[in-house]
Amino acid sequence: MSTVANQTLKTAHLDSAHLQTGMSMHRRRVMWGWVFLSPWLIGFFIFTLMPLVASFIFTLTDFNLNRASDINFVGIDNYQKLLKDPSVRISLRVTLIYMAISLPFSVIIPLSMAALLNAKRLWGKAVFRTLFYAPFVVPIVSAVGIWNGFLNPQSGWLNRIIETFGINGPDWLNSTMWIYPAMMFIGIWGSGNAMLIFLAGLQGVPTELYEAAKVDGAGPLTRVRMITLPMISPVIFYNLVLSMIGLFRYFDVPYMLKRGTGDPGNSTLFYNIHLYKTAFTFKDMGYGATLAWFLFMIAIIFTAVLFWSARYWVYYAAGDER
Amino acid sequence: MSKKFRLLTIVIALALIAALVPQTHNTVVAQDKVTVTWFVGLGTGGNDEQVAAQEAVVAEFNETVGAEKGIELVLVLVQNDVAYDTLSTLIATEDQAPDIVGPVGIRGSNSFDGNWVDMEPLAEAAGYDLGQFPPSLVDFYRVQGQGLIGLPFGVFPSMMFYNRDLFDAAGLPYPPQSYGEPYADGEEWSWDKVSELALLLTLDANGNDATSPDFDPDNIVQFGYSNQWSDARRMATFFGAADFIADDGVTAEMPENWAEFYRWLYDGIWNQHFIPNDAYVNSDLLAAGNPFSSGNVAMSQTHLWYTCCTAGVNFDLAVQPSYNGVVTAPLHADTFRILKQSQNPEAAFEVLTYLIGDASLDLLAAYGGMPARPEDRDAFLAGLNETFTQGVNWQVAIDSLNFPDNPSHESNMPNFQKADERIGAFQTLIQSTPDLDIDAEMATLISDLQAIYDEVQ
Repeated sequence: MSTVANQTLKTAHLDSAHLQTGMSMHRRRVMWGWVFLSPWLIGFFIFTLMPLVASFIFTLTDFNLNRASDINFVGIDNYQKLLKDPSVRISLRVTLIYMAISLPFSVIIPLSMAALLNAKRLWGKAVFRTLFYAPFVVPIVSAVGIWNGFLNPQSGWLNRIIETFGINGPDWLNSTMWIYPAMMFIGIWGSGNAMLIFLAGLQGVPTELYEAAKVDGAGPLTRVRMITLPMISPVIFYNLVLSMIGLFRYFDVPYMLKRGTGDPGNSTLFYNIHLYKTAFTFKDMGYGATLAWFLFMIAIIFTAVLFWSARYWVYYAAGDER
Repeated sequence: MSKKFRLLTIVIALALIAALVPQTHNTVVAQDKVTVTWFVGLGTGGNDEQVAAQEAVVAEFNETVGAEKGIELVLVLVQNDVAYDTLSTLIATEDQAPDIVGPVGIRGSNSFDGNWVDMEPLAEAAGYDLGQFPPSLVDFYRVQGQGLIGLPFGVFPSMMFYNRDLFDAAGLPYPPQSYGEPYADGEEWSWDKVSELALLLTLDANGNDATSPDFDPDNIVQFGYSNQWSDARRMATFFGAADFIADDGVTAEMPENWAEFYRWLYDGIWNQHFIPNDAYVNSDLLAAGNPFSSGNVAMSQTHLWYTCCTAGVNFDLAVQPSYNGVVTAPLHADTFRILKQSQNPEAAFEVLTYLIGDASLDLLAAYGGMPARPEDRDAFLAGLNETFTQGVNWQVAIDSLNFPDNPSHESNMPNFQKADERIGAFQTLIQSTPDLDIDAEMATLISDLQAIYDEVQ
């Protein structure tokens, strides 16, 4: 064999060995990738996927923890029951009414606070920022306890303040009308996180746009309408989606205020309270799981509608990023 | 490297599987010993001091009686908020079910109605003397169709707590402390007399009492009477033991004496104003939900366990008032029970008798209950006297044990959780709604209860 031929064979052999080593390294990388992913994957499988599948299976059974050894397949009975259940109608109505009242405020108030903090001439911005944000870090149990005292018609500060104007304050927590504003106050009080996101959005609007608009003779309102709102519309959309999902999940405040009774007059019987009571008070896991899946479907529909509407009012400076 | 990787993966997988395999508490610790599990969580028993006391009892049992009789006692502590679900699940698995459950009251055990062992045969087989307890307390645990499903352990009689300072300030004599004794004016110590005194003890911000035409119900600063952490069935029992279910076990009904009580309660809150409404109860004036401890309530009917929370109030005890000449003092009682699913009921009974026997004083000291056994009460009362130095007549509490409510205000109902919740809504309505048609609401309650009962027929 010639020297050239020997050299060629040697090179080919080295290339092959190199290729094998390269593939091996690639496989190793992939495998190590799976190893590092595995805690999350295992957690997702055990704590999310399996319960999800299990809860769907429960919807087809009469599983009740009071007689847990006696589980029967009942087909779509739970879904039929759900359609006839007056508590479902009441709790859905309560949830949607509260959403209609609260959702606009859950966007407007934090946005207004953010606009205030973004104002050029505001003194002590850091102090205000801290004050507005601080309630967000207060645990919800403490917050509800504080508001319970604050809204008490006999000894609460709010009614005492109102009484200085010669008006008798309402019984905030025992009136079917005033309970919603009362819960809204608690929600808005803790909206520091939304405010911070809006503030970041406002500070991200390029100042040259305002300068150019000023040169073109645009007034302050026009600048807000034509520049600020479109530029922060993705942030508004983001907060809107989060608030809406949060309101579908609304549970802790009415539960702690009224111990899940739905008082006064079922006005705090939110859908999740009904779900919780069905599953964990009455132990009816089969029907409780059905209620949970129904809520999931409703939330999906509402979110989908919101995403669909976004194309008409959410502006992405870099094009369609949905 | 590849082998190392495989080895590592196998080790991780095995570790995860090992971590996920549930620890079976029925594991036999030693081959020659029977394991008995004691489930704590449905009632009291969860705070640090109680846990320590229970663990000490378990250790003591295992070293003494357990070692002698071949029984290993294992304590299973579960947080109260998940205890019902946990126990339900354990019962469903059958072979995982604990043997002993407690301490638990009547109400706490209702969710597992029908799952408790009748201890009468076990007691007979073991030669256990039931005569060591007052017969009325043993009978308290006899349930028709189920037998003797508990043995007396800790009892919490109820009576009237009164604030001496407020009586003194009003210049009124204290209520009586012996059953059968009338009030100082010679009239019967009845709920009518309570109303009469409570009106005089209810004051507005201007110092007018509730009998004054100038009384301002919107600015009350002191109440004559308040319910203290009570539910609708318990309160109604003041006017006589009864229940929202007829003897047939399926028909919802409103006992007439209970209807009369709810009218009295509503009138006391909204028309005569000597009982605080919900807004007042939750206000700072009444310690945000703990009225008697605020020092602004003259009388409250409650149980002996309320000694937990009366610090700073110069109180004493008065006997339970009568209604139509009959005294009924609601009784709370905690005990231990054996589950029907127990694999070793005889061994469980051996442990149970230890818990309510040799270990009872240590456990009751931790739980704060009065011993059901009369001869054990002195030490318990001495402890109370150390705490309440103003001098309290505890004999009133002991005497009140003679007037227990039978049927218990905590007794089971069909579809218990739902029925109980509906009754709770009725109570809230009374306490928070002025201008209520109370008779119409009672009719609605019974109609709703019937529908709730029917769901499980």
